[in-house]
Amino acid sequence: MPSISVWMIRLAIIYLGAGVLIGGLMLIDKALHLIPLVWILLPVHIEFLITGWIIQFTLGTAYWILPRYLKTKGRGKILPAILMAIFLNMGIVLVIISTLSLEYSFLKLFGRVFQLFAIVLFINLHWKRITSYSKA
Amino acid sequence: MPLITRLFIKTGLVFLLFSLIAGVLIQVESVSIPNLQILFWHTLMLGWITQIIIGVSLWMFPGRKREETFSNQRWAWVAYVFLNSGLAFRIIAEPLLKLSASTIWKLLLIISAMLQFIAVVAYIIEIWPRAKGKKRHVKRTKE
Repeated sequence: MPSISVWMIRLAIIYLGAGVLIGGLMLIDKALHLIPLVWILLPVHIEFLITGWIIQFTLGTAYWILPRYLKTKGRGKILPAILMAIFLNMGIVLVIISTLSLEYSFLKLFGRVFQLFAIVLFINLHWKRITSYSKA
Repeated sequence: MPLITRLFIKTGLVFLLFSLIAGVLIQVESVSIPNLQILFWHTLMLGWITQIIIGVSLWMFPGRKREETFSNQRWAWVAYVFLNSGLAFRIIAEPLLKLSASTIWKLLLIISAMLQFIAVVAYIIEIWPRAKGKKRHVKRTKE
């Protein structure tokens, strides 16, 4: 498994743990009404689990598992792949900051743009790898 | 494909079916089941997508022991049993808590939260060391 996939998958697993922890606390509050402040974290719960966990895990796994280039046996240029992982996680962090503080709500746009860049890089890296080794 | 993976995927399909039925019911005006929207999203994202990711990763990631004994897969089994019982408890408790504030539904909801969290921790324990580079994998196999 390439290092980029290892990092993306491990970050995704951390986001899963954190996202489910927040979700669990919200569920407990639904029953006991002890920690109503936890509901502030609802957008964080959603961002962690959708972008941080599901999207990041699938991108990281796809980078590892999709067919490699026939001639070079590689996965393409390394720098765009590193940037893909960095942009996606920067995007998540900026979106989280923007949802937690009104003062920084403008960061949400930047966060989503970073996430968009990450996906553009992913598509660019993988488009030609979505292929078949057989000529038929 | 190991049994645990097949179970994760097939149970995931059952939750997918449930979530789509819930999606239809949400649109039917004469049906009013409390908290159905929440159940729709959680059976879809956790019951289906997360469950299929977990099942396939347990099968495809490096470091899987070929022998399908319980001791070789104990964390995966904990994850499977706790995740699905936790989600099932939630499906029961969410609408009923809205209808009556009985202690039993509150308790069921708390148990559901704990079961789901433990399931994720068990999955992390199983999969974390298996998300690794080739060099480390080869080194560990030689040892």
